[in-house]
Amino acid sequence: MTAMVECRSLCKSFGVRPLLDRVNVRLASGEICGLIGSAATGKSLLLKLLCGLQASDGGEIFIAGRRLDASSKEELQQSRKHIGMLFQNNALFDFMTVRDNVAFPLVRSGATSAEEIRERVHQTLRAVGLSGSEEKLPAELSGGMKKRVALARALVARPALLLFDEPTAGLDPVTTARIYELLGAEQARTRATMLLVSSDVDGLRRFVPRLLMLHAGRLRYDGPSDKIDSSEDEVVRQFVRGADEGPL
Amino acid sequence: MISTLRDICREVGAAYLLLLHVGTLLLRGRFDRRELGRSLAAMGADSLPIVALTAFFTGGIMVIQAGIFVRRFGAYGLLGFGAGYATLREVGPLLIGLMFSGRVGANNAAELGTMTVTEQIDGLRALAIDPIAFLIVPRVLAMVIALFCLLLVGDAVALSGGALFGKWLLGVEFSSFFHSFADNLKLADLSVGLVKAAVFGLAIAISSCHFGSSVRGGAPGVGRAVNAAVVASALAIVLSDQLITVLFK
Repeated sequence: MTAMVECRSLCKSFGVRPLLDRVNVRLASGEICGLIGSAATGKSLLLKLLCGLQASDGGEIFIAGRRLDASSKEELQQSRKHIGMLFQNNALFDFMTVRDNVAFPLVRSGATSAEEIRERVHQTLRAVGLSGSEEKLPAELSGGMKKRVALARALVARPALLLFDEPTAGLDPVTTARIYELLGAEQARTRATMLLVSSDVDGLRRFVPRLLMLHAGRLRYDGPSDKIDSSEDEVVRQFVRGADEGPL
Repeated sequence: MISTLRDICREVGAAYLLLLHVGTLLLRGRFDRRELGRSLAAMGADSLPIVALTAFFTGGIMVIQAGIFVRRFGAYGLLGFGAGYATLREVGPLLIGLMFSGRVGANNAAELGTMTVTEQIDGLRALAIDPIAFLIVPRVLAMVIALFCLLLVGDAVALSGGALFGKWLLGVEFSSFFHSFADNLKLADLSVGLVKAAVFGLAIAISSCHFGSSVRGGAPGVGRAVNAAVVASALAIVLSDQLITVLFK
């Protein structure tokens, strides 16, 4: 199967501290994959590198076969049109209403009629359970509602690659389950490739068939979610079990 | 000392590069018109009351200061000229520029800084939108237009204030005040003030956009950026005022 995402020997350091050290990741088109790891191990950084928001120090990044890290500004803009990203802090535009935030990617693409934009925004907001909040400003929303608006904005343009940074952080278990259900339905409909970073390891394991784990700049696990408990790596086992004793 | 000098050079260099980038996009017409309209309303129309109030009392202060000499030498017929000359060429642009920097420049730096630390700028880039074309260029254009227009209104209000205070404190008739003003001042006097307003607007816009969009370090970083933007704007206003005054004396 063709690769939607391919990173080869990806490196990124801040000062003398390497956050990513020769990381190799390959995601097939239409695949759903989870990324876990302790705090500050470069999970969000990896997503930003895949979106071209950060420059790598070494290695290669390919998105849908096109080299991202050596792209010109115009090529990068073109590649980003096929990528949807949910940020850890939601990154909602403060001066826009919920409706305008969600409609924004469609309005800016210029390829969708006003009628279709209205309909898609309405459908997406209903899917994330935010019908009736269209005219509110982000400052008037709770943390969970902001997360769902950001999710709606990432999904509305139906990009081929979706990168989610903590999509369920701050949400209650019922809403979390609904969000995963929504992502599953969206993926089944659009066949988008999804990479999810989450601290909710148990919830993520139930949703994604494949997990990656980053630790100390290296990829310590890349395999099926249901086999991660029996990984030979003691660091991986301790992390997923949440055990107090161990190398972590 | 050397480190501070290096920091200043780096900031000035980065602001200059931003100015070039903004100029290029502006010439190509690549900026967001909707954001320009929103910025003009927020930065121009919403600043009108405070600018008008400042200008009114500025006109009054000019008359109070001039009053001492007007009384001593009996130069009642020169009051309009004196107050108008100082207001149009110097005091009007300087005070309104500093007021604009405190209200609009600081707000702009804080807004862009908050957008930077809350990943909204990254959010724009992730949506394949150039943040400079979408956010910075409209704001720079709006600040230049707004300060230019605010100065026109401010000058008129300041002169009206001067005329009112002249009548109240010195008994100078409105007709005498405005004749003295119209007979002795030229269009060039107004133009110098307007050139200053446009240059001050550009200086405030570039410094606030530069410091706002290069924030590092969360909320304290936003505070530092606002502080730096206001200080840099005030310095740029005073330096460019000096230069324009020498050039157009």
